[in-house]
Amino acid sequence: MDMFCDDVANLDASERSRYADLLVLIAAADGELVREEIQVLEGLMGRAMVHPEARTSIRKGLHDTHRLTNLLKNAEVQTLRFVLRDGALLAAADGDYDKREVRILKQIAKKAEISNDELKQIFDWVSNGWEWHQTASSVLNLSASKQNTLE
Amino acid sequence: MLPDTLHKLPRDERFAYARLLAYMARVDNEITVDELAMFEQRIGTALLSPNQRDELRLALKNPPSLEECLEGLGPESGRLALRDALLMATADGSIDGDEFDVLQEIADHLGLAENAVNELIDWAKIGYRWMEDGIELLNKLQQG
Repeated sequence: MDMFCDDVANLDASERSRYADLLVLIAAADGELVREEIQVLEGLMGRAMVHPEARTSIRKGLHDTHRLTNLLKNAEVQTLRFVLRDGALLAAADGDYDKREVRILKQIAKKAEISNDELKQIFDWVSNGWEWHQTASSVLNLSASKQNTLE
Repeated sequence: MLPDTLHKLPRDERFAYARLLAYMARVDNEITVDELAMFEQRIGTALLSPNQRDELRLALKNPPSLEECLEGLGPESGRLALRDALLMATADGSIDGDEFDVLQEIADHLGLAENAVNELIDWAKIGYRWMEDGIELLNKLQQG
């Protein structure tokens, strides 16, 4: 049961880079990048086994938020669906969804042939994950975790 | 891959946290692709420097002793390390006896309740279901 890993790491190297580039765009969409977002982004790049050198150039994309059209061009639908799932996780990292983040997610969803209803299912899935993650705090008495809530 | 409090800890404790994960990855003397991906995810989340990450990748080949790993951990980082060591141990599908013993040793070191590891295992199972839901959702969308 490959629960915490999935086919993202099996995408072609170029599609994994595209996946990470798109996540960077989502993270930077609201004009400010908080540590929680960087943390989730770095974790997702790690899980996708993006090469460390490639990560360095991908991080530079944090300062260039006008590349969406190019990245969507010729993207594989499977890659875009992974981006939607993990981009929704990333966009929620600072506690809520900014409308600019949602706008990018909707653009990606359109390209990936995902309806708004289906996108909402992804958001609901993210909320469930937040609730699950928080319950570890009670087992381990992690005081600081209690501050994290998804609005 | 969910937001965490790990980044709020001092860098040396985050490094100690990741060393414990490196130790955990090698408890059964082999590391699967799933464990490696999980390890890369966690050291990414820990926001360590590229040099520290390289050092940790080397630690996968020559893991430190458990005692060395525990030395650098504070109460909060220790608990996060236990939680994520358990997630990592289950990344290949099950926790074997050696892995369980190590987890229990960490929990004892942290002074946690006797049933803490079992409670965390139950918690991890719920998380697995959540991840599966995400994968199923994607599969459903692929077919649509």
